[in-house]
Amino acid sequence: MKTAFLGNFGARPGVWEAILKKTTETLDTSVLFDIDDTQRLIPALADAEIVVSHVWKKDFPEAPRLKLLQSVAAGIDLIDVPSLPAGVTVCNVAGHEQAIAEYCLMTMLAWQHRLIDIATAFRGGVWSTGGGAGGGPTHGEIFGKTVGIVGYGKIGREVAKRAIGFNCHVIAVNRSPVADKGDAAEAYPLDALDQVLPRCDVVIIAAGLGPETTRLIDARRFGLMKPTAFLINIGRAGILDEEALYAALKDKQIGGAAIDVWWQYPTAAEPNRHGSRLPFHELSNVILTPHCSSATDGARERRFGTVAGNLDRYVRGETLRNVVLTT
Amino acid sequence: MKALFLGNVAVDTYEGIKGELPASLECIIINDPVDRSLLPGAASDADILVSNRWLADFPPAPKFRLVQSVATGVELLHMASLPTGCAVCNAFGHETAIAEYVVMAMLALHHRFFQISGEFRERGSWATSWVHSGVPHGEVRGTTLGIVGYGRVGREVARRAAPFGCRILAANRSARDRDSDVERIYPLATLDEMLPLCDTVAICTALGAETTGLIDAHRLGLMKPGAFLINIARGQVIDEDPLFAALSEGRLGGAAIDVWWQYPSPNEPNRRGSRHPFHQLPNVIVTPHNSGWTGGMVRRRWDEIADNIGRFCRGDALINLVTKV
Repeated sequence: MKTAFLGNFGARPGVWEAILKKTTETLDTSVLFDIDDTQRLIPALADAEIVVSHVWKKDFPEAPRLKLLQSVAAGIDLIDVPSLPAGVTVCNVAGHEQAIAEYCLMTMLAWQHRLIDIATAFRGGVWSTGGGAGGGPTHGEIFGKTVGIVGYGKIGREVAKRAIGFNCHVIAVNRSPVADKGDAAEAYPLDALDQVLPRCDVVIIAAGLGPETTRLIDARRFGLMKPTAFLINIGRAGILDEEALYAALKDKQIGGAAIDVWWQYPTAAEPNRHGSRLPFHELSNVILTPHCSSATDGARERRFGTVAGNLDRYVRGETLRNVVLTT
Repeated sequence: MKALFLGNVAVDTYEGIKGELPASLECIIINDPVDRSLLPGAASDADILVSNRWLADFPPAPKFRLVQSVATGVELLHMASLPTGCAVCNAFGHETAIAEYVVMAMLALHHRFFQISGEFRERGSWATSWVHSGVPHGEVRGTTLGIVGYGRVGREVARRAAPFGCRILAANRSARDRDSDVERIYPLATLDEMLPLCDTVAICTALGAETTGLIDAHRLGLMKPGAFLINIARGQVIDEDPLFAALSEGRLGGAAIDVWWQYPSPNEPNRRGSRHPFHQLPNVIVTPHNSGWTGGMVRRRWDEIADNIGRFCRGDALINLVTKV
């Protein structure tokens, strides 16, 4: 079975090898890291029946035999579905939701407990930033806080499950109706967002990027949030209005934020490029991480296992899992 | 009925609860630094002491019937200097805050939170992102958490850690009934069986004869290579020298230390918490004994203290009784 691993995720050393190690069926594989290398992409796609990639570009060469496009990511926003040939099944992976939920709880806790400020000052010998023995101000807790989760899918549900252990009150907001609230105390459709935002101490963006969510959180909606609100974005950067978020944080219109997903990414020419054209990294009320909330050892194992399982299933003619759509 | 509020924590408490105290209660307030010339008069006719200390060389206090500590630990209350029959009560309300700290520290250590967020802020390093093939960080799901000291704090930790999919073990001095959050509770004497199983060990025990120096070189050596240690109890539960060695040599993966072997003094306000430079180790999260110091803790503790003073004045049964002298 001709299988092509493509792009800077699927064809990365350590990724495709780990996936193949988990497969039991025999695959005839090719690996191409640089998808802009058209000379090599043409033959790879000409006879591939399976492609493992998180990207499919509009100008990709013909892939007449393609039947399964298996992403190695959850979001398929980098897959240009209209340019896929007919009859292709697109599958994604999960397994990252537990890791991301841990990140959400970690940043909520770190923000309320002022962990970075207190620990950094104490490294310098200052006891009084943290109270207690040093007699300084108290910090906060997440106990009893109201947590709004925008996008109540796998990640949101995993967050809710953990947050209620801390006596948080969880409100879910979702595009499609929520049949099973899970651990959330309340659930609403997306058009109730404006009523939910003013109630939240923590707002977690866990939605996918789509027409309804692009710039969903704009200047007006930041204005609806509590002045102490803490925003966590582990969805996609495009869900937030970049300038409005920067202004809201700089002007302390909201309390703070944890940002893991960015409006721009590093390139070969600019490996240390900042994630935004605005200097979020200069703001003290922002926790910044380089799109790594899901990059845990456990999530990789679970994801690679899902991909390998689907490749085996396809070869054996079995029903695929994690099907997103079929063209 | 007279109550003496002594020291800065007690004075803060008084300010927080004065509206809830019985109108008939007369309050004497002595703040830090304590003017000792005021003590004999105050001590001679107070029925209640609210403080974290009553030292051996303080004047006689023949009428004390309730000593209400403003802290959980009563090590600064010199029991022999209190009159016979006096009830000593302590205060809690910190377990919620400290349990949050323990789970936060466990997450931060496994996720390499300080390293990743620090390098991204300082240098724009994307090394750990999906963009690059960086070394993945850990997660707490599926790891084993060992809680040493399964009291109020330990239980609250277990309750919060369980939904993360951790396997939870505990060790306790006295026998404890197992609850649904924890897989097994080891008697403290068999701690050596539990330690090698744990990816994270959280010290949540009180300081006492059995726990002083409990985590020594031998027991640190029993821990898994790369395991994390969290101490929110008292510094003296862990031996300072072998802990520094294990962390600086990388045998342990990291630690979160909130309680210390030495504390600041008026002469040395920025005194380090240890004679070893733990603050220079990148794999150690250091905090200034503040894990319990939240606004919520203060409010809960004040409520308990006000409640107990009210009970005492009405002649009702006291809560949080530590001992009767």
